[in-house]
Amino acid sequence: MILRASRAVLVRVAEAAAVLLVLASLVFFAMRLLPGDPAALVLGDQSDEIERAALRAKLGLDQPLWLQYAHFLRGLATLDLGESLRRPGVAAMGRVRDALGPTSELAGLAVLFGAVLGVGAALLASGPWLGERRRHVDRVLVAVAATPLLAFAPVVTYALAVRVHVVPLPGDPDAGFAGLAFASALLAVPLAAQVGRVGRAALADVGRAQFLSVARAKGATNLRVWVLHALPPSAGPIVTVVATQLGALLGGAVVLERLFERAGLGSLMLEAYASRDLPVLEGAVVASGGLFVITQGIAALVHAAMDPRVRG
Amino acid sequence: MTKRLLRLVPLAVLLLVAAVTSAWASHAPDRLVLEDAFCPPSLARPLGCGEAGVDLTSLLGHAVLRGALLAVTVALVGFAIGTPLGAASAMARGRLERAVERACDLVQAFPTFLLAFAVLSAVRAPGRMHLGFVFALTAWAPFARLALAQTRVLRDAAFVEAAYALGLGRTAVLFRHVVPNLLGVVAVQLGGTAAAVVVSEAALSFLGFGPRDGVSLGSVMDQGVASMLRAPHVLVAGSLSVFFTSAAMLVAGRAAARE
Repeated sequence: MILRASRAVLVRVAEAAAVLLVLASLVFFAMRLLPGDPAALVLGDQSDEIERAALRAKLGLDQPLWLQYAHFLRGLATLDLGESLRRPGVAAMGRVRDALGPTSELAGLAVLFGAVLGVGAALLASGPWLGERRRHVDRVLVAVAATPLLAFAPVVTYALAVRVHVVPLPGDPDAGFAGLAFASALLAVPLAAQVGRVGRAALADVGRAQFLSVARAKGATNLRVWVLHALPPSAGPIVTVVATQLGALLGGAVVLERLFERAGLGSLMLEAYASRDLPVLEGAVVASGGLFVITQGIAALVHAAMDPRVRG
Repeated sequence: MTKRLLRLVPLAVLLLVAAVTSAWASHAPDRLVLEDAFCPPSLARPLGCGEAGVDLTSLLGHAVLRGALLAVTVALVGFAIGTPLGAASAMARGRLERAVERACDLVQAFPTFLLAFAVLSAVRAPGRMHLGFVFALTAWAPFARLALAQTRVLRDAAFVEAAYALGLGRTAVLFRHVVPNLLGVVAVQLGGTAAAVVVSEAALSFLGFGPRDGVSLGSVMDQGVASMLRAPHVLVAGSLSVFFTSAAMLVAGRAAARE
C-alpha cells in the first residue's frame, strides 16, 4: 500500500518536473532559435555593434547553443540565473523572489474567498433553507461562471472605488489590506461560481445517500446534516475544480495586478518582457509554472486528506 | 430544431451590428480627431470617443469582428486537430490512449498566459496571428478529451464491429463510422473554446501583448481603465463588448447540442 502510494507520488513529481522543464526550455529556445538578435531586441535598433557584442558575451549568446542550454539548466537548478539586465547588480532570482510574495497573498486569499463563497452557494442551492427559491442560486452561478473576469472587474472597481468610495482606488499606494482584500475578492468570483456549480452537483449526488437519512433520524439539525455529513464526501470534486481553476486564477492575478498596479509576478513578467530582461523573464515564467505545479500537488494531497474514500 | 437555430441569433446580431458600425468609413478606427478626445456619447458618435478622439463605435465594431474571426478560426483548428486525435487514440486503446488523456489533463490545467509569455517572448510586437498560434497550441485539448470519452462508448458498438467485419481498415472505420457519430457532442465545445479565445485575446491585449494598431477589445479596456476617472463610458463600452462577444459565442455553441 505504502509502496503504491509512494510510487504515485514519484510519478507526480516526475511529471511536474517534466512540465517545468518543457516550459523553461520553451522560454529559452523561443529567445534563441527564432530569427532576430536578442541583443538588438534588448538594446534597440540604434545600438552599435560593439555594445551588442558585449551584451551577447555577457549573456553567453556567443557560445554554442548546447553550452548555453547547459548553463541555463544549471542556473535553474541552483536558482541563480545571473543578474537582471534592467537593474545591473541585482540577481534576477532575487527580483522573482520579491515578486512571489504579493502574488501568493493575492492568489491564496482568492482561493480562500472562492472556496468559502462557492461552498456556501452550493449549500444554499442544495439544502432546504431557501425552499423553491434555491433554483435562482443555480441560475446566478451559471451566469457568473459565464462572465469573464476582464468584463466585470474593471467596471465593479469603477463603481465601488470611484462612485461610492468604499474601496481604495487602483494604484493607491496606501491601499494596504483593503486593497488586497478587494482584489482577491474580485479574483475569487469566477472561482466561487465554478466551485458552486461543481459543489452543488456533488452535494446532489451525496444528498440521496442513506447515511444522511440516518443522521436525520438521529435528530441532527439541517446544518449539521449538510455541513458535517454531506460536505466531506463532496470535497473531492470541489478540491479538483479548485486545482483545475488555478491556471485561470494565475492568469486572472496578472490581469488584476495590472488593473490595480500591484507589484507581483505578473507585473514583473510584463516589465521584464517590455524591457527584454531575459534572466528575469525566464525566472519569472518558470517560478509561476512552479507555483502552479506545486499548488496542484497540494490540492491532490488535500483531497486525499479530506475524503475518507481516497485516504485508504 | 428551430429552438437550436435560435441560439445562433445573438452571434449573428452581434456580428451584423459590428459589421455595420465598422463599415462607417467617416469614423474609421485609425482616424483621430484630437479635439474630440474622450468626448461622451452623442448622436453623431453613439458610444463617444476614446483616447486621442478615436470613434468608439467604429473601433469596437472592428475589434469585435477581428476578435470573433480569430476565435472562430482557433476553435475550428482545435476541432480539426483534437477530434481525430482523441478518436484515434481511443480506438488504439492502451498506452496511447492513456498518454493522450494525460496530455489533455496537463494542457487544459496549465495557464495559457504563461505559455503565451514563453512563446511571445520571441517576437517584439506580437500580432493577432501570433496570438492565434499560441491559442491553437492548447485549443485541441478539450476537443481531444471529448472525442476520446465519446469514442470509448462507440468503439464497442455493434456498427463498428460490423464495419470491421465488412473488411474496412482502421482509418476508414475511424473517419466513416466513429468520427461522424461523435461530432454532435464535440461540436458543443466549439462555442466554449471560441468564447475562451475572445476573453484570452482581450486579456493579453489588455496586458499590452495585443496587435499594435490597438484595434482589440483588450486595448479598449486598457484605455478605459486608464481614463476611468474622466471618461467612464470607454470602460463600460469595452466591458459590455467583451461580455456580449464571449456570451454570444457560448450560446452559439449550444446550437450543436442535442436536447
